[in-house]
This record gives sequence, C-alpha cells and structure tokens, in this order.
Amino acid sequence: MAGVGGGNDFQWCFSQVKGAIDEDVAEADIISTVEFNYSGELLATGDKGGRVVIFQREQESKNRPLSRGEYNVYSTFQSHEPEFDYLKSLEIEEKINKIRWLPQQNAAHFLLSTNDKTIKLWKISERDKRAEGYNLKDEDGRLRDPFRISTLRVPVLMPMDLMVEASPRRIFANAHTYHINSISVNSDHETYLSADDLRINLWHLEITDRSFNIVDIKPANMEELTEVITAAECHPHQCNVFVYSSSKGTIRLCDMRAAALCDRHSKFFEEPEDPSSRSFFSEIISSISDVKFSHSGRYMMTRDYLSVKVWDLNMENRPVETYQVHEYLRSKLCSLYENDCIFDKFECCWNGSDSAIMTGSYNNFFRMFDRNTRRDITLEASRENSKPRATLKPRKVCTGGKRKKDEISVDSLDFNKKILHTAWHPKENVIAVAATNNLYIFQDKMN
Amino acid sequence: MEYKVEAHRIMSISLGKIYNSRVQRGGIKLHKNLLVSLVLRSARQVYLSDYYSGVCLNTQHVEAKEWELMDSNQEKPLTPAPEESLSPSTDCNQNPVVPEDPEVQHTSQAVEDSTDLHSVYSKHQAEEESSSEDSTTDVSLTSSPVTCESQCEAKGAEVSSSDCEADANPATVTEGNSQQPPKAHSCSNRKRTAEKTASNDSPVKRTKVTSSNSSEEEAEEMDTGNVSNLITIFGSSFSGLLTKESSEPEAETEDSDSGSGQICCDQMLKNLNPWSTAIVAF
Repeated sequence: MAGVGGGNDFQWCFSQVKGAIDEDVAEADIISTVEFNYSGELLATGDKGGRVVIFQREQESKNRPLSRGEYNVYSTFQSHEPEFDYLKSLEIEEKINKIRWLPQQNAAHFLLSTNDKTIKLWKISERDKRAEGYNLKDEDGRLRDPFRISTLRVPVLMPMDLMVEASPRRIFANAHTYHINSISVNSDHETYLSADDLRINLWHLEITDRSFNIVDIKPANMEELTEVITAAECHPHQCNVFVYSSSKGTIRLCDMRAAALCDRHSKFFEEPEDPSSRSFFSEIISSISDVKFSHSGRYMMTRDYLSVKVWDLNMENRPVETYQVHEYLRSKLCSLYENDCIFDKFECCWNGSDSAIMTGSYNNFFRMFDRNTRRDITLEASRENSKPRATLKPRKVCTGGKRKKDEISVDSLDFNKKILHTAWHPKENVIAVAATNNLYIFQDKMN
Repeated sequence: MEYKVEAHRIMSISLGKIYNSRVQRGGIKLHKNLLVSLVLRSARQVYLSDYYSGVCLNTQHVEAKEWELMDSNQEKPLTPAPEESLSPSTDCNQNPVVPEDPEVQHTSQAVEDSTDLHSVYSKHQAEEESSSEDSTTDVSLTSSPVTCESQCEAKGAEVSSSDCEADANPATVTEGNSQQPPKAHSCSNRKRTAEKTASNDSPVKRTKVTSSNSSEEEAEEMDTGNVSNLITIFGSSFSGLLTKESSEPEAETEDSDSGSGQICCDQMLKNLNPWSTAIVAF
C-alpha cells in the first residue's frame, strides 16, 4: 500500500474534489489546464469555456485543525471569449490552453493565460478596505450637490468584506498564425515565450505590440512540412536557454545568446527508434505532448503517448530513464486511432524535490514514478474513493491471462475518462488532478 | 493480403478524419492533421507496395496467359451475352462500371486506330464523361471531380485490371480456363452496349473483358470503391478549402490531398508501363 513520495513511503489520501457531480458534463466545464503558483498557496484551473478558477489554500488554524490546508475558491473570472477571425472564416476557441503564474513581487498575483491565439496577463488583487467619506459623492456613489457641501473631510479607509478582483493588465495578441500550445515565463521575470505549431515568440511582459520570433520551422513549401512544435519551456535558472519538443519525438535546446533566430539548436535530443516496434502509428505515439524541466534544471522530462522519459541535459543520444505509463495500449493503437484517443496530449510534472514524476492515463488513472526506488503506482481519481482522508488504493490493469480480483482488464477501461492535466505542489506532497470537469486534490497522509 | 485490407481501412479512416477536421471548431489543427497524413502515407505505402510487387512479378506471366485464354475462348462470350445484358451484377454497378465501359471501348479504339496512348485517353475521357453521367454510381460528383475521377478511373481501370489480372489470373490460370468464360460473360454485355466495338475485335475485347472483370473483383476487394469515394469527396472539399482557408492549412491539406488522390493515380502510374506495352503490342 506504499505510496510514492520524496524518498519515504507516503500514502496518498483523498482531500477534496471540486466540480459538478452530474453525469452529463458540459463541454465548457472540462478542465484544460491546472497550475500551482510558486508558493503553492494558489491553484489555478482553466477550462474549455474560457474561465479561470483560482483556489487558495486555507491557513491552518486552531479553530479548524482538521481542515489541513484545504483549497477554496478564491477568484473566478472569464479569461477568454470565443472569437471569430473574419479574414479566415475561422472560429477561435476560448479554451484555456495554458496558465502560468508569475513570481509574486507584491501583494497582487499575476498569471498568464492563453487560448489558441491570444495571451493575457491577469492581475488578481484583494481588496479589503474601502474609502469612505468622499466629499463629492455620497456612500451610494451619487454625486452630491456642490451647493450642499459646507465642510470638507478626509476620506478614511474602512474595512470591508474581502473582494478578489481579476483585471486584464496586458493582452498579447496577433502574434501567432497557428495554435498556441505553450507559454513559459523566463527566469528573468521580465520575458516569456509562447509557442505555436511552427513558431516560438519571445515577449516582454510590459510590451504588447511587439514580440521577437526566436524559432521558425515553417518550411518554404508547406507540402514539405514534416514536424511541428508541440511544447516549449524556458530553463528554470538560465534565462538564455529554452527547449522545444517536436511531433517527431525530438527535443531541441536552444541558446538565445547564439543568434537572434534560434533555428539552429545547441543540443538535439533524440532516442533512436526501436525498429521492431514499428507500426502505422509509430510516428503518432512518438510525438511529444509535454516537456518539463526539473526544478534543479539538470534534467528534463518528456511525455509521449505511451511513456515518460527523463533526459539529462548533458546527454543527447538517449534518455536516462524511461517509464512506461500504459504499455498495454500498444496493441490497441488502431482502435485508439479510430476513436481519436491516440491524439490525446498528456502532461507530466515533477515533485518539488525532483524525486518523483506524475502523469495521467485513462479510466481516471494517474501514475507516479519514484526515480530513486524505481517504484511506480497507479491511482484512480473517482468519487467512490472520496471519503475525507481516505487512503487511495493502488490500481492495476490486467494485461492478459487471468484477471485477479480488483484488477481491471484493458478492455473495460473507460477511454473517455482521461487525466491529461496534473500538478504537484512545489513544496509539499499535495497534488491536483483534473478528471474531465472535476478537480481532485490529494494529500500525503503525513501532511 | 490482410495487410492490404488493414492498410486500406486505415486509409479510409484517415481520409475521414482529415475531412471532418474541416468542420471542427477552432479551425484545422495542424498537428493532428500532420499526424493523420503520416499515417495515411504509411498505409498507402503498404497498400501500394503489395500492389506493385504483385503486378511486377505477374504482369509478363499474365500477358502470355491472356493470349492463350483468348484463343481458346474465342466463340463463347458472344452467345451468352444477351442473357446477361439485363442483369448487371451489383459489383459491376459500382465504380468499376464507369471505367469498364469506356475501358472496353478504349481498348478497341486502340486496336482499331493504332493510335498512341494519349489520344486514346483523351477520346476515352470524352466518352467517359457522358457515360458517367448516365451510369448511376454511388458517388455523387460535381462536374470537376467527375472529370478528375473518370480520368483517374480510366487510367486506373487499365491498371487495376492489370493488377486484378495479377491477382486473379494466376489463380484462374492454375485452376484452369473454366473461370475465364464466366467472367467474360458478365462483362461482355457491357461490351455489347459499347456500340463502337466490332465483332472482329472480339479477341481484343476478350482480353480486355477478362481484365475488366478482374477489376470488378478488385473493386470488391477495395470495399466497393470507398477509397475513391472518399478521394472524390476529399478532392471536391478541398476546392472549397483552398478558396476559404489561408495558405498554411490549405497547403498542408493539399499535401494530404495529393497523397490520397495519388492512391488512385499511383497505382496506374506504377503499373502503366507493363500494361501499355501490352496494349501497344496489339
């Protein structure tokens, strides 16, 4: 029953679930991104309807010792609306593709949210005081008759109910012809990059009308197109370094000091293909859906359809670790191609100490791998295990032969219940798992 | 053989996906369409590699056998023809119907006129268009795709027939000549309706008949021309795509389009040489 954690055996327990219980899931409610902020105090989710919901962790108080740091809704706002590109007769989806927090510099919180075409910088601030005693307007806000004013007074700040406001501070638009798949804040806290299928742009957070194009892989003749950019990320410490992954299963590391246009990579990471496992779908399953640097900056992790690979930045010819997420699907690739599941883009994440990694699968299963002990565990996000502080039972998929009790056969997996987005608290063993329209929060029992 | 069926199925599914992606919300997803086109290409390669290897190996063998059969079955097809004229078999009514008619005419023209391939094709295409309007195929076509498809089919008919021969004839030859005459029968009615054919061309027709018959089988194998259906839908849909979309998705889909349209044409192109030499030899 051992869980996976930072070296010790932890046990994952259910903490909370957010979202409607309805069987009928509205498409707009499907969660499309999950992200903790730098301190872990805030947890943001974006959905297909273009909304952002931010949860804040409660301070542990003596009054309610049992609510060990629960996350409650802090702010909800509509980040993106559906748009229509009249020139191309294309509808632009409002679905939030990514949210990235900025490091906190003052009392307000800032995050970047993006849909397919536009990135927005949102400021989330609290207001718990209100000025009262204006001279020119009364408490309702109506203007006072100037002739009635006989004395002057200084407005005073009075406490009020906490109000959390979200306001768009910058809108970075019209820089991407293709669909934006990634944004990443640079370690200099001044710039960030945005990547679409063929180009990567570098922005300054203060400047919205210009961006630098740093990678362009669009061929002169589109018929020669063989690969697209699938994800990009800035290095956590070196502000001149970033990586981007491709649909061919390769990762390129680029150094912005080398040239203005980083079409020539500094490092090229590719694992030679195993010719014995070649099939019609080899190219699809090798396409990388997510790339994440470790917190240390020494490693990076890539997710393709069937596996997660950890790469050492100093070794380009193969990954240092490969973890199979759901190898039993390899024989089902044709049906997964037919029902479009093979195109699902799973994300992956590191824990705070880089000792464990987590990624999602089908049937609301998610997987964790301990890099030190090489142990892995499969857990399920479901309402059935949702008693407070109930320990999660490890799940197992039966790949063939006799099905043991509590095992699930591959054929009875529900491919509509997919966990694409997961996030791990930057410091503690708290994880957020998005299962369609529900957000599950699990904590380690020791917490 | 199973690979071919599987490859064909995957090609159909891929084409369907590319077609559906046009109507999806949010516009065409470049990444997904690129992956689908890669699968399409792989499936096509498998499909064609089977075809090509089969044809190359068997074409010479087939031609020789054809002459044998033709000589032995000289009289037979003519008499049963009237009985069969009213019963066009279902498989004949599918796409191969279109190519078969003009194909037969075409061949006879080739023999009569001894013209080169190009003029034959152009004449044939003119006939093709009129005949295709008459024949009820299960493909609803606008005028331009008809031309395109008929052109493809016309060329393809010959090719596919040679392919069919490759597939069918080794079997039939080994089994003896008994299978040839029945095949000749079911198509000979079409030969009858092709007014330009003269009776003294029967040897030529017969050769063609067997091959066009085989092309029926081939069509059946090809799941009643679903692929060509999809290709034409695909082709016609792309004309809309090209006008509406920006160059990037259009170009990408063009790539796929040329890939899929090539499915038909490639077969012909790859197999054209052996068959054209056979025609010229007449």
